[in-house]
Amino acid sequence: MIARELLWSRLRAAALVQGDVPPRDERAAPWYVRLMLGIAGWIGAFFLLSFVGVGLAFVTRSGAAQITIGVLACAAATMMFRAAKGDFVTQFALAVSLAGQVLMAMGLGELLHPWERSWQPVAALIAIQQAALFLLVPNYIHRIWTAWSASYAALMALGETFIHLAPALAAAAFIGVWLREFQHPRQASLVRAAGYGLAITTLQCAVLSGSLAQALIWGAGFDASGARQPWWWVNGAMAGAVLVAGVIALLRREGLALASGPAKSALAGALVIAAASIKAPGLAPATAILVVGYANGNRVLAGLGVLALLAYLSHYYYALQATLLEKSMLLAAAGVAVLMARFALQHWWPEAERA
Amino acid sequence: MAQARSEILEWGERGLIAPADVRRALEVGEALPTLADWRRFLDRLLLFLAAVLLAAAVTFFFAYNWNDLGRLAKLALAQLPLIVALALLWRLGLERVSGKAALLAAALFTGVLLALIGQLYQTGADTFELFAAWALAIAPWVLVSRFAALWLLWLLLANLAITLFFQTFHGVLGLAFGPERQLWLALALNAIALALWEAAARAGVVWLQERWAMRLIATACGVIVTVLALMAIFAWHTSGWGIAGWLAWMMVSYAVYRHAVKDVYVLALDALSLIVVTAAFIGRQIRGYDAGEYLLIGLVVIAMSAAAGYWLRRVALESEA
Repeated sequence: MIARELLWSRLRAAALVQGDVPPRDERAAPWYVRLMLGIAGWIGAFFLLSFVGVGLAFVTRSGAAQITIGVLACAAATMMFRAAKGDFVTQFALAVSLAGQVLMAMGLGELLHPWERSWQPVAALIAIQQAALFLLVPNYIHRIWTAWSASYAALMALGETFIHLAPALAAAAFIGVWLREFQHPRQASLVRAAGYGLAITTLQCAVLSGSLAQALIWGAGFDASGARQPWWWVNGAMAGAVLVAGVIALLRREGLALASGPAKSALAGALVIAAASIKAPGLAPATAILVVGYANGNRVLAGLGVLALLAYLSHYYYALQATLLEKSMLLAAAGVAVLMARFALQHWWPEAERA
Repeated sequence: MAQARSEILEWGERGLIAPADVRRALEVGEALPTLADWRRFLDRLLLFLAAVLLAAAVTFFFAYNWNDLGRLAKLALAQLPLIVALALLWRLGLERVSGKAALLAAALFTGVLLALIGQLYQTGADTFELFAAWALAIAPWVLVSRFAALWLLWLLLANLAITLFFQTFHGVLGLAFGPERQLWLALALNAIALALWEAAARAGVVWLQERWAMRLIATACGVIVTVLALMAIFAWHTSGWGIAGWLAWMMVSYAVYRHAVKDVYVLALDALSLIVVTAAFIGRQIRGYDAGEYLLIGLVVIAMSAAAGYWLRRVALESEA
């Protein structure tokens, strides 16, 4: 690990910065402190909602009242965030905003009756609501949450027929944002918050693709595995194609010719995982999180990718699309193919000789 | 590497580095992987992915319980990957990463083999015995492995054995072995593991100095002890010792991770536990259905988390310096 001063002097020697080391940013916090604040914000929001539910009982009966109070709460929270100086005001604004978002969503549900009709309009409206809050509220934790919820709601708005494309779409958005992380340094926080939100959505879509959890939302008749659709394999193939396209974009960013040894090795690995994803659609998005995290030197993101891979494999055991025997054959073939990709790597890209 | 990355990105955001130079600054600061790093990463990714996929394939295969295959054939099939993994290990040696991957696969295959024996011969053994036997069987390998992930696997097996043991005997021994005893035992196991791990890491055992592994165990301890405290507060058939255990964990972990080891992660975990337990405690004392009380608890939670956030940032800054 490089100390701050040493890092600065290195950059100065490379003529990238000037002057003395700047003072530390007092607001910077490690990811787990932000995660703690986010969870505590939700606990606070839960009690604020209970306060509204018990104290203003009429609200629980009227969708219009829920939306009105929700909008007011989010507007007040936005003003607090924008004017905020202290930790208490920020944390209070977070809880108020979360409670307001829940109220607005409940109000939409009350007015549009998604249980009897369709979930799509509610999901679309929630996606717009969360996207607007993402732009309006300049708070990092809040932006990760709104990016996550907006993107997940947008995927839900696709409806039963296209929901199976969610892993591919989420992974594409995720890769698109993170590969541009260094292009807009002045908006780095905004880009990163969007990126983490999309990372969680991608993880969710990868791990829960074709699961019972979705059948609960879409109703008993929902084809959770997607296997009854005549073109079911397109979903996994799309997820795999997104991984391959992402690897090509990454190779371009790193300035590597596609015919070079490293590029051929990386593509061989990506193609093998993409092929396995046709039957196991979570593999490609999970791998994408890991690879992009590593490419950007982001260990938290890379760790999330490892978690996604392990979680997907455990989930795959219970997933409905095939018998255990078929899944076993697929995994064995994929394992052997991955090993072959590793031999290809050693052939095309031999380890540099040690000096 | 991670620290240089966030410093440079922050300087870029504040305009101290020209937007076009940020990428170069990250390279100069060694925050991005070099071509050699990439090669090592890809090599390991493909290796471990293959090991995990193959191990999962074998597990899924035997879980399918194919009737067309005789007992001996099945046993032979289950032993084959184990033998292959061990042969690879013998050739590669424990010091190489590929050797460690082979050992990890062998440890997983051992469990498959034990499960298969239980399935074929209907030994009458309970599920917890499978995990206990598995943990025992791979213990010697774990001891010599010098591999953090394998130790974590072993700890997971031990935890599963304890949990399932109490589920099995819950009906027989009823009150004496309720969920509380199970949680206490799991807490003791994980706390001892954490203490030993931290001690070994401090004593200079390099391969144990992976903070993520210790953080994972600390998270397990924190969650268990918080559940114990909540059970005591809401008096769900408990002895009431939960609060004492929780207080002890909070004090010891604060002393260790604030002063001796300095890991803000565990302190953040403790802060969250404190917030949850305090909110539950006040809620229990009030017992009311009055709106103002909910508002009060909400404000207490918000104030505590704001204060915790402020304090944790200071501690993080000072441990960086």
